[in-house]
Amino acid sequence: MKKLLLTVALLALSGCVSVAKIESGDKTVGERMSVHIDGAWNHVNAPGIGPAELWTMEGTPVDQLLIYSVLKDGQAVHAESSGSDNKNFTFRSNMQPDEIAGLFEGMLTRDGSRYRLVKLEPVDYSGLKGFRFEYSLVRKIDNVQLSGVGYGAVSRNELFAVLYMAPRLVFYPRHIARVEHIGRSMRVRP
Amino acid sequence: MMDREERKLRRSPFVIRDRALNDYLQGIACRLAGDHCPDVRVHVVNTPLFNASMAPNGMMQIWSGLLLRAENEAQLAAVIGHEIGHYLEKHTLERLRDVKSASAFGQFIGLFGLVGALGQLAMLAGMFSFSREQERRADVIGVSLMHRAGYDPAEAAKVWTNLLQELRARPGGDPTANSPMFATHPPAAERSETLNKLAAEFSGGETRKDAWQEKVRPFRREWLKEEIRRGQHEESIALLTRLNAADAGEPDYLHARGEVYRLRAGAGDTDLALADFQAAAALGGEPPETHRGMGIIYRARKQPDAARASFRRYLETAPSAPDQAMIKSYMEDLGI
Repeated sequence: MKKLLLTVALLALSGCVSVAKIESGDKTVGERMSVHIDGAWNHVNAPGIGPAELWTMEGTPVDQLLIYSVLKDGQAVHAESSGSDNKNFTFRSNMQPDEIAGLFEGMLTRDGSRYRLVKLEPVDYSGLKGFRFEYSLVRKIDNVQLSGVGYGAVSRNELFAVLYMAPRLVFYPRHIARVEHIGRSMRVRP
Repeated sequence: MMDREERKLRRSPFVIRDRALNDYLQGIACRLAGDHCPDVRVHVVNTPLFNASMAPNGMMQIWSGLLLRAENEAQLAAVIGHEIGHYLEKHTLERLRDVKSASAFGQFIGLFGLVGALGQLAMLAGMFSFSREQERRADVIGVSLMHRAGYDPAEAAKVWTNLLQELRARPGGDPTANSPMFATHPPAAERSETLNKLAAEFSGGETRKDAWQEKVRPFRREWLKEEIRRGQHEESIALLTRLNAADAGEPDYLHARGEVYRLRAGAGDTDLALADFQAAAALGGEPPETHRGMGIIYRARKQPDAARASFRRYLETAPSAPDQAMIKSYMEDLGI
């Protein structure tokens, strides 16, 4: 996650980042996934930030909404890094919900941040069985305490997911209702 | 500047503030430091890697990954004694004088604070590593401090041999690149040889394994969870196989290794995971997650009765587990 933030910051400085407004309403992400958005978001677009779309309300150092419109078997949940000192956390199509939540946990703790799973529960996305999880995170780089929520489902051996995190005291409570709306509205075409 | 880093460290949520554990570790440091005891302030940091460091102002950091890996008090004393050796010889101050630029100076100071990204630690530590002669001096002092404090110096060589064995387990792993300790220290083979020679000179002493086990046991499950979370399956299996051998009959280690096998999910891994889970359950006192792991494997193998029984046991023994709802949904799918 720190790498993602640094990449965005560096690209912003070099002028390679574009930010587009996403309006309320139905939004198709990728080929098979759609969500419904209540309120406008900012879509941050930059090369090399990984397999997910990056959206934010307050700016990426503060809150991040990652939307995985498709993750195929063998693909990492983050921008892959070479070198043996950095573990890549890779999706396998036979993974169970606890293992998929564990993938995101691995991604978020690659820099030494502390993660705690608060809740993992089943969710039905219009007939597609999926899951939802809540977590807390103490970010290593600045000791900020974050709260987060994730939604996911596997369809035709591909993972579709939404992951959100924001500082626990102000920004998470401010935006969680909109994020819940997006997460629970996730639909995946068969 | 170092005092400022220490103030930041004291406030950090990553510091383990348990009084009993801190007093115990401070006691080990004092036993080794002798008259210099008042100079040394131990801080225990929750980070799942093998590392300890001592800053020129007496701030000593011990990471939870080191505490998980030490098999007895003497092994921890070997690392602390070595760091006190650098402190007494003022090696860190010498390195500080060599640092020319302001940015490098800041990075050097930062090495003794809470390092933001673990991936940068080995690189930074390598940039500011001690000389081979300084390391040799710290080893000599460390072993003599161990001997004076009544610890068996033979445990010092085992620390490095164990760590090297673990790091070599990683596919294509270069130990000098993967560990902050190896980035700042000479090759482990050379170190083991030197330490074995020193141990022969200063033979005798105790390991204090029982005292060690008693003090760290309350924290071990949390440290094992963090070790599993690293996702470095090969390293973790090497570590847990060693700990299982050193402390046979400990269900926590068996469960943790089983969980690593289950998550690695390579050929034959679920068989190995199940064997470890069953062995942990047979011993008794196993973590509740042992039964969750068994249930998930039985469910995947289409053994619904066994899966249901394991899940039921998990829910009974971990009534406030965060994944209760998910496990109940698995049971509904199996037909309760």
